[in-house]
Amino acid sequence: MNTPGLPPVTGSTPARILVVDDELGVREGCRKILAAEGYEVVTAGDGKAGLEQFLERGPFAVLLVDLLMPRMSGLELIREARQRDADILPIIITAHATIDTAVEGTRQGAYSYIPKPFTPDELLLSIKNGLERRALSLEARRLREERERRMLELASERSRSTTIISALTDGILVINSERLVVLRNNAAARFLPDCAGREIPFPLDALSSPDVREIVDVVLRAPAGYMILSKQIPLGQSTYMVNVSPVIEPDGATSGAVAVFSDVTELKKLDTAKSMFVSMVAHEVKSPLAATEGWLNLVLSGMLKHDAAEEHRMIERALVRVRTLRGMVNELLSLTAIQTGNFTLKRVAVDAAAVAAEAVESSREKAAERNIEVAVDREDPGPLSLLADRDALAIIYGNLVENAVKYSRDGGHVRVHVRRDGMYATLRVADDGIGISADDCQRVFEEFYRVRGEHTAGIPGTGLGLSLVKRLAELHEGTVSVTSTLGQGSEFTVRIPISAHPA
Amino acid sequence: MPAPRTIFLVDDDKDFLEMERSILASQGYTVACFTDPRAALAALRAGAPQDGPALVITDLMMKELDAGFSFARAVKSEPGLAGVPVIIVSAVASQRGFDFRPRTQADLAAMHADAWFDKPVAPDALLARVKELMR
Repeated sequence: MNTPGLPPVTGSTPARILVVDDELGVREGCRKILAAEGYEVVTAGDGKAGLEQFLERGPFAVLLVDLLMPRMSGLELIREARQRDADILPIIITAHATIDTAVEGTRQGAYSYIPKPFTPDELLLSIKNGLERRALSLEARRLREERERRMLELASERSRSTTIISALTDGILVINSERLVVLRNNAAARFLPDCAGREIPFPLDALSSPDVREIVDVVLRAPAGYMILSKQIPLGQSTYMVNVSPVIEPDGATSGAVAVFSDVTELKKLDTAKSMFVSMVAHEVKSPLAATEGWLNLVLSGMLKHDAAEEHRMIERALVRVRTLRGMVNELLSLTAIQTGNFTLKRVAVDAAAVAAEAVESSREKAAERNIEVAVDREDPGPLSLLADRDALAIIYGNLVENAVKYSRDGGHVRVHVRRDGMYATLRVADDGIGISADDCQRVFEEFYRVRGEHTAGIPGTGLGLSLVKRLAELHEGTVSVTSTLGQGSEFTVRIPISAHPA
Repeated sequence: MPAPRTIFLVDDDKDFLEMERSILASQGYTVACFTDPRAALAALRAGAPQDGPALVITDLMMKELDAGFSFARAVKSEPGLAGVPVIIVSAVASQRGFDFRPRTQADLAAMHADAWFDKPVAPDALLARVKELMR
């Protein structure tokens, strides 16, 4: 009964066999023969018991079943079992072998038929053949299923690519060698309004931008060799960086072009801001430096016949410009520190009223020169304590009061109100000066923005003060706002929470 | 000896206005100062031509980028003032990538100017040029 070369097990686990026969001798005989070959064997004495074992202890690779049994016949059991496990391999063992029962058994899905009595080798050979056949059919099904799964994946991969392309924020156009646009994603339809409603494919000439058509044509006509053309193209209110690359076939021929549109409008704005900064530095740094140098030159030239009082006055004028310059550099450094996240607030208990009074005090001299009255309104004298960075608060209040004086007319009035306003310390600075137009009100807190007009010409400034005020106020979770009427004056309001962490 | 004629100084930066006035006044020139080129132009027109100005010295960047250029052009195109020499004094010789500094006489003529100085102007150099142009 030893059959070398016939592997009793499939895979790494032994095949499990359910033996159902009402004859104890056949059952136990089969068990011994099969167990000796390494199979795992479960037995049952009739069809009903067989089904119970099948349900409780399955799955089985082989169902070895007698045809005629009490309670449930072998054929019924085969039918029941195959309904639940189509892969099970039913083998009929019967003493009453007839052609009819064999045909019926096969119809019910029996794989083979072993007439009783049988030798152990006959049984093992039949089992082994059956298992091999089963393994083949399982493998075939696995391959079939894998192929189907791949097809599904491929389909979903395609739809994924389409989804990704259409969801890209960059615009994409694909143009074939006949100059037909064969693909455009949502962003391209947004960027290029003249291709939005068109059915694909449509001619490249439908695009109204000559720049776009031109760079696509250059790439399509280019001789073999990889080339990407990039160009900044303004379309409507926006500017796009358009990169066009050829689609190269394996034989080296160009079969089309892909154009990618990136919206660089914001970058252009940054670029403009950078130019404005350079321009601001050129004027705002060079002017005070030149004035300082000029005054010192004049003192040293001896032209003033060494009039000590006159020389002293000139050196003071030079000093004023140097201080302005230093203030500007400090503002720039603070602003940079805030922008790069390196500015940390040192919150301590600060008296807002005292800081406001200092701001007013330090603007007095400039105000007096131009006969401007600066007054502090306080309904409730006494300290107004809040948790804040003292230096930052001094910059905020100082800038607002200084601006009010700077943009007042000679002989004007500046009113400074400090009061507690619920959870906030509120400072209002009102002037009856030149005022700010509604458009400019929206922009005065932008970096480097300066109101340009008849009355502001000649007033020195960096365009950084108010943006610094805004950022410092916001670092305190506070706000700053402005209301103004051109020609009648402005009112700036800054509100800083009394406590950073309300109880 | 003819009556001393006035030098018109135009600059929106009062420091330069004052230091140039000091330089010129120290040599006995009569100087009229203006922070607004339009006020200067009005005064020039009112005085022209009999007691007209001897010379105009103007800043470049005032209200608008080209305020000094416009002013110089206005002076030179005014019938009674066309012969008045114009000196441009500027701290900003370049802006937004443009270099304004004149390199030739033709450049100066295109700017309607007779001389150009960078700020701060050296007192001796300014006085020498003023003397030459007023001759």
